[in-house]
Amino acid sequence: MLKWKQSKKMEGNRRRSHLERHDLLRKIKEFCKSILKDITERRSLSISINQFRNYCKNLDAHCSCSYDFPQGQEILTLEKQCHARRIEQSIVDQAINDICILLQCSRHNINVVSAGKGMVMGWLRFLESGAKFDCINSPNDAHPIPTFVEKVKDIVSTANYILVVEKESVFHRLANDQYCTRNRCIVITGRGYPDISTRRFLRLLIEKLRLPTFCLVDCDPYGFDILTTYRFGSMQMAYDAKFLRIPEMHWLGAFPSDFEKYGLPKNCRLKLTVEDTRKTEAMLHRCYLQREVPHWRSELELMLQSGVKFEIEAFCACSFSFLSEKYIPSKIQEFERLAV
Amino acid sequence: MEVSSVQRLCLHLISAAFQRCRVSEDLCRLSVVLKRSSDSDPSTVRISNILGILHCAPIELAYDVRAHKHADVALISSTFMKFCHEVIRFFQKILVLKIPVSSTFDSDDVDGFCFEISEEGGVPGSQYRKVFLANECNPVPFSASNVERLKSGLEDYVMKHGNSLHRKCDSCFPNWEHLKVGSGRACCAESHRSAGLQMEVVIIVSEISETSPCFRSSSAETEVLYFKDFSPCPITQSSLTALTNIDWKSYGLVLKSIAVQGGYTALEWENLPPNIHIDMVLHCYHKQYQFTPPGQKTRSNRNLIKKAAKLALEDLKEKHAGAFLSAHALKICSYAPDLARTIAGLILSSNDSEFQEECFSILGLQSQNIINEIVEDSIQQKIISVIQMNDGKPLRSKEAASSFLFEDERLQEPNIQEEEYDAGELVFSSLDF
Repeated sequence: MLKWKQSKKMEGNRRRSHLERHDLLRKIKEFCKSILKDITERRSLSISINQFRNYCKNLDAHCSCSYDFPQGQEILTLEKQCHARRIEQSIVDQAINDICILLQCSRHNINVVSAGKGMVMGWLRFLESGAKFDCINSPNDAHPIPTFVEKVKDIVSTANYILVVEKESVFHRLANDQYCTRNRCIVITGRGYPDISTRRFLRLLIEKLRLPTFCLVDCDPYGFDILTTYRFGSMQMAYDAKFLRIPEMHWLGAFPSDFEKYGLPKNCRLKLTVEDTRKTEAMLHRCYLQREVPHWRSELELMLQSGVKFEIEAFCACSFSFLSEKYIPSKIQEFERLAV
Repeated sequence: MEVSSVQRLCLHLISAAFQRCRVSEDLCRLSVVLKRSSDSDPSTVRISNILGILHCAPIELAYDVRAHKHADVALISSTFMKFCHEVIRFFQKILVLKIPVSSTFDSDDVDGFCFEISEEGGVPGSQYRKVFLANECNPVPFSASNVERLKSGLEDYVMKHGNSLHRKCDSCFPNWEHLKVGSGRACCAESHRSAGLQMEVVIIVSEISETSPCFRSSSAETEVLYFKDFSPCPITQSSLTALTNIDWKSYGLVLKSIAVQGGYTALEWENLPPNIHIDMVLHCYHKQYQFTPPGQKTRSNRNLIKKAAKLALEDLKEKHAGAFLSAHALKICSYAPDLARTIAGLILSSNDSEFQEECFSILGLQSQNIINEIVEDSIQQKIISVIQMNDGKPLRSKEAASSFLFEDERLQEPNIQEEEYDAGELVFSSLDF
């Protein structure tokens, strides 16, 4: 009666959308029955929820942080959890995350999706629920990233790489400069910290198109945090990190060393605030930096030591198109040179 | 001699008589007679202390105050009636201990002891006589332990409205179910300095209907009866401290204040329903008499009271599930309806009738004629029962771990064909892997 999927292990690790609907329903029913049995047999209600963690701050020993396995359990009991709290977004978010962990699924599996805020442009064409998104005809026109990523099909592209930019302003700068006309690529922005749809869409593109992916962020602690969110996933969605992270992502810029290298005007250089410093120091402790991207860590250390930061817009201070005509292409050429 | 010291001496004499009864380990009879001499000083009275063994001739000890300055006799001033009330009150309290006493008075066959005030040579019929019946409605066997006696004694005290009635008040207590009784006993360890020190606490919670004629609106106050070595006495400071430090909140009680006034100790509660009344008795005694300087006993007393009181409260809680829930548990119970509604919603909104039937069967409901409210109520009752059962108990980690669902990842994603899908429990054998 029960058959095993042969390729379950391989596929299951990359995408959760194959999770069968009736699988989830079965789990929900089992969960419900187990609660009923507990209360009927007068056992205290308690639910154990796995705790996931992308990184820890323990640099000394080998840590057990992993994308696949939980780091511990939180026990929810009726007696413990009962203090009145106002229903806030964060509470709802936590509850949804707990349900996803319990049912071992992603948010979209239980039909919880938020309107995406990401945008995409470039040499890309795809279908979403039958609607055609053709960016190829007008590669510099922005399109919103679809919310229901599992409904995206027939992805076609002639791009050579994918460029992810932190800010909407940079995205529009590139659009204005007709960047995609001169460069065969796809440009995406999460408009700050990327939401789940943006990350899933990006992941889907990479899986289907197998293109190198570059990330362009401000040279400041928040930019770096956004970069790590794309690459390693966020702590809040740690339980889903293995489906949301992009291990192939490269850090294109901006680096602290770029400031001198490209002769940026001094007034574009800002001092790190106390909060910036605190955040940077905290980030330096993340175990995955040392383990997986020590060169990123060195750049971050440089930032802390110099005590200064700057935004991508600094590249436009000399000339508007410096970013799209000089900086980005030269960085990408550097990568290609090193790759060869 | 001052009035108050005279009173104290009298009460001490009476108390001594009771102790003699008690240690005799046999039924005793006891009566206290206050005779007021009509000749000479009208305020002079004699106290006769009669103690005798049943079937034996009474031994009368009577002294005239003017002739003999003997310790058994005291001089009473014009606050005679007040003193009588004190003595009556004393008797009312000491009955709580239920010291085995029985007596036959002259021609009357009464089971109890007698307090008599008479005037020598006075008008016949002007005698005042108060008889305290010991074992009327709630007899205890002779072999009963002290704490059993204390329990029974306090029950009588409550049902006879402070032992002011001869028998229990039927309008307030038509049956025994209106009383919730809890008792606790603590003693010092053998190795302890105060070894042999016993502390017994009995707490009674009674419910009196508001329509009853005896209903008092000031029932938010609890009189604390304190006994030391089988005699009523004013409460000690260490005992007061102990009472203040008890965690009443775990039992749904909030202590507002403690007041001591003239030998009367009262605990005042917050938010006690008007028809609920609490009575409490503390008894501290030595199994064997030993002299201990007062200071040394303080800490032992305090700890023992806390321990014994806690045991009494736990006793109440265990016997009357749901009645002494802590404030925390009550708060959780207030969420039970929402939780029950959610779980019921999960079940009832399913399209899978087999799943629904399984759920109904787990709940013990018949699958016919199921309406939402029935399911919700059933779940709610069960949740409340779990909360009540676990109130105050720490969550054991073993129990928590055992409810871990979906343990093994391999059990997660079997490829179930649509047509073969079975909503029942999945069973795996080792051959499947």
